Amino acid sequence: MMIGKKPLIQVEDVSFQYLVNKDEKIPVLKNISFNIYPGEYVAIIGHNGSGKSTLSKHLNGILKPSQGEVLVNGMNTKEKRLLKRIRQEVGMVFQNPDNQLIATTVEDDVAFGLENTGVPMDEMESRIRFALDVVGMSEMSKRAPHHLSGGQKQRVAIAGIIAMMPKCLVLDEATSMLDTYGRKDILKVIRKLNDDGMAIITVTHHMSEVAEADRVIVIEGGNIVLQGTPREIFQKKAFLQNIQLDVPAASRIAELVHHNHANFNPEIIHSYEIVNEVKRLLKGGENEWR
Amino acid sequence: MASQFELTRNITIGQYIPTGSIIHKLDACFKLLSFTIMLIAIAICGTYFGNIVILAFSIALFMLSRIPIRYGLSGIKPAIPFVVILAILQLLFYGSVASGGTVLVKSGFILITTDSLRLVVVSAMRFVEIILISSVLTLSTSTTELTHGMERLLKPLKYIKFPVHEFSLIITIAIRFVPTFAMEMEKLMKAQASRGAEFGTGQWWRIVKRTKDMFPLIIPLFNSAMERAEDLILAMEARCYTPGEVRSNYKRYHIKVTDIMVLLFSILFSILILFYPFPY
Repeated sequence: MMIGKKPLIQVEDVSFQYLVNKDEKIPVLKNISFNIYPGEYVAIIGHNGSGKSTLSKHLNGILKPSQGEVLVNGMNTKEKRLLKRIRQEVGMVFQNPDNQLIATTVEDDVAFGLENTGVPMDEMESRIRFALDVVGMSEMSKRAPHHLSGGQKQRVAIAGIIAMMPKCLVLDEATSMLDTYGRKDILKVIRKLNDDGMAIITVTHHMSEVAEADRVIVIEGGNIVLQGTPREIFQKKAFLQNIQLDVPAASRIAELVHHNHANFNPEIIHSYEIVNEVKRLLKGGENEWR
Repeated sequence: MASQFELTRNITIGQYIPTGSIIHKLDACFKLLSFTIMLIAIAICGTYFGNIVILAFSIALFMLSRIPIRYGLSGIKPAIPFVVILAILQLLFYGSVASGGTVLVKSGFILITTDSLRLVVVSAMRFVEIILISSVLTLSTSTTELTHGMERLLKPLKYIKFPVHEFSLIITIAIRFVPTFAMEMEKLMKAQASRGAEFGTGQWWRIVKRTKDMFPLIIPLFNSAMERAEDLILAMEARCYTPGEVRSNYKRYHIKVTDIMVLLFSILFSILILFYPFPY
């Protein structure tokens, strides 16, 4: 479906190792290649230490590959003078909501990235208003960060990125320190951004978030071990469990029911699909469901 | 006991009280500048009358800003012992320095003249005036406005290669993280206390012990500060921050007529106070 479209981010044969000292290196990524296309929603999953977070930090040049290349809109992240433009194309939100906000009020914080890129004043104001509107934080624009909840802080962090109008948003476990409500809010915002055409790359281990994505990349030991739609991925339950990954609850339930009732669709990944499936079978007139 | 762990409640950095008065609406930059000029006038003015005028003026400022005067007075309270001790010392030992005027008391080493008495009264008044005026400034200006105002005041220093923007960014980040660290400290205290640590229970003269009690808090606090700093750097870099580069500024300031009037007024006021021939 992406044929003919130019990739937004090209990861070409990327390897990365941390240097412990002169002789000792710890390899984290090994010969990874993939493309991200404009408007795509991609989830990168893997257990702790699999290298998924390191990989995400390569996407906007925070880390540079030891071998191979990362190209953002054709710009190589290894070129220092392009970094500013690369980071305007690919924005990034991190894990800890407390450690990302810089200024003492919400609107000043959203302005930070715009000030750095030299956006003129008049445009800045409308962009800040727009960004805070998208994340639903306009009413709190004068608040201090420490008067916000975790989810609200994370929404402000996202607004700070949106204001810079990137083509792609990378979320590096951005929901992992939030409660259920905070997470739901963030997911809603992400959905909206993706619907408006922004590419989303989310690094996560919450499987219900993975189900939202168009495409899933599974990382294990610094390699891509699996790639596909969430539905395809979650069918390989045994394989995922083997690399310490789970499948969404809905998927487990569907499989369990399928075991006892063969015509129950086992490929379900969303909880609402279970309801629909039950309704379908009830309408279908099969005796054992009556 | 409960209050022992409640640090965030006591944080009063920027005790900003929004009342929307004329003083609140002034540009922080001009407010700071006027404040500095007044401060100089207070420091130099040595007459009774002049100081009475300034004292009346600083109380008038409170009324104008519609902030209850008790906020200013609560700032004076902790300074009272300091002022009293200073006054006594000056009264006893300054007679030989400020020896002008007529001699009031002379017995042994104690020499009190009208001039030294004036010095005592005037310096006590100065204290009160400075506390009142600076309270008006901090109570009517938010910390954000203050840092922005300071940045603009320091801007001319750019020409001697002083990193003005970096300086104000450091202040902003410091202010931003004060509540975060206070909350962290609270968490650490509770965690350590739940494992049997005691804080502030030793006698007050056992300074070494009381300091040692704080180590299990300070070291983890430092540790987490470092971690936070690393995260913050990543977040700043991800948002295109490059130190030393030209940035645009979100806040634009329209200099209002009232701002200039206030500045002119404080200059005139200071000149008047300093050069008007008050009888006393």
